[in-house]
Amino acid sequence: MAKARGSREREGKTPQGLGTFGRYAGPATLILSSLAEGAKHGYALTKDIEAFAGVRLAPGTLYEALSRLQGQGLIEAVASDDRRRPYRLTAVGAAALRAHLDAQRRVADVGLRRLAGTWG
Amino acid sequence: MEDSPAGTVNRATSLLRWYPKEWRARYGDEFAELLISDLAERPRSWRRTLDVARNGLVARMSAVGLGGGALEPRAQARASLASLGCALAVFLAFGVAMWSQLTIGWQWSDPDTTATRAAMVVMSGAVVLFVGLVLLAAIPVGWEIGKRLARRQGQGLLRPTALALACAAVLIIGSHHFGNGWPGTGGHAWSHQGLVPGGVAAFSWASTLWVSSYWAHPSALLSFPAGEIAWMGISPAAVIGLVVGATKTLRRLDLSPRTLRYEGRLSKIATLGMLVFLGGCGSWVVDGGPGPRNLFHTGAIDVGGLVVMAAALAIAHRAVSRARRGGTWQAAG
Repeated sequence: MAKARGSREREGKTPQGLGTFGRYAGPATLILSSLAEGAKHGYALTKDIEAFAGVRLAPGTLYEALSRLQGQGLIEAVASDDRRRPYRLTAVGAAALRAHLDAQRRVADVGLRRLAGTWG
Repeated sequence: MEDSPAGTVNRATSLLRWYPKEWRARYGDEFAELLISDLAERPRSWRRTLDVARNGLVARMSAVGLGGGALEPRAQARASLASLGCALAVFLAFGVAMWSQLTIGWQWSDPDTTATRAAMVVMSGAVVLFVGLVLLAAIPVGWEIGKRLARRQGQGLLRPTALALACAAVLIIGSHHFGNGWPGTGGHAWSHQGLVPGGVAAFSWASTLWVSSYWAHPSALLSFPAGEIAWMGISPAAVIGLVVGATKTLRRLDLSPRTLRYEGRLSKIATLGMLVFLGGCGSWVVDGGPGPRNLFHTGAIDVGGLVVMAAALAIAHRAVSRARRGGTWQAAG
């Protein structure tokens, strides 16, 4: 186990997905999902996420999640003359989002199947 | 009630102050724009204020290598090691103050309880360990600084290094001066019966004279000689200057991964030493007793010191685990 963890730590350059985001994993998923359709700045992200998920991310949470996503190379800033800097998904971010949503879909499928079997 | 546009900008700017300088330099403009838009839409929201405050503190913890999102591996290791240095300095300020009480008491009479005797032996051993570790940690750092300065590559290193050295000199010279002036140890025939030489006891007493309950009793404090009162103000300022200078130097010095791993190993040993030292202090405070002629009496300042030292140990432990994470990643790169 220790060996496995050590080898994973040594693979610092491989994408770590959203597993290391802790309480920011939810906001990070929402941000990546929003950026999947194109680059957006902070306020546009807030409005889009509110529209498709019914969740309003508070400014502090949004930017902590953004800085972690950027630190992991899952998103990148787009050059802009505006003070409102847009962000876009990277290829690594797209792969991490796909893997994360696939895993969530598997859990959702199992839960819904079992619900249907037991509760109709 | 809605704010004027200028009022909204002012509120956004004041919320931004929760974040550290480095974070503001990177995200400040765009975050302020988001806050201004949010404030225009929802002028009053205590949840927003709490959210910004909490995440600002997370960013501050991250900037000093103690929490939040990880920094770039070497920066993470440097920041964590610098925080460990701060925690160790606070720990030692209170720890040496308590140790000096025991060393001075033992100059007069042997302790009459096993708890105090064991505490003294354990704490003295830990102090020797700390001195050794600080020297071992300083050698490669000093060498690297010297190399950089000799090659004229030490931009940004000269001032913090000079500050740390100047404050260390003030602390050593002042402690030596006031230690010699104290009649309880230095220069007296009976001052050699303790576990620790009288000169060392007097020096440690003088260097931590400011860790005192006399601050809560100003009338008693004013009966001290003016020079000692001045020293009680100067010495903590020198400690702060030493810590700030050393911390800035360490954060600006791009040490090699090998040196960072070496410093990380020393840090781990230092944390264990802190735990042992704290155990010794606890043994004395909890079960030591006042001893002959009340020489080993403990007071509220000692209990408060234990709490501060336990908090410093927790921070040091956190810093070591974060520094190791940075060092391990770097080993791959």
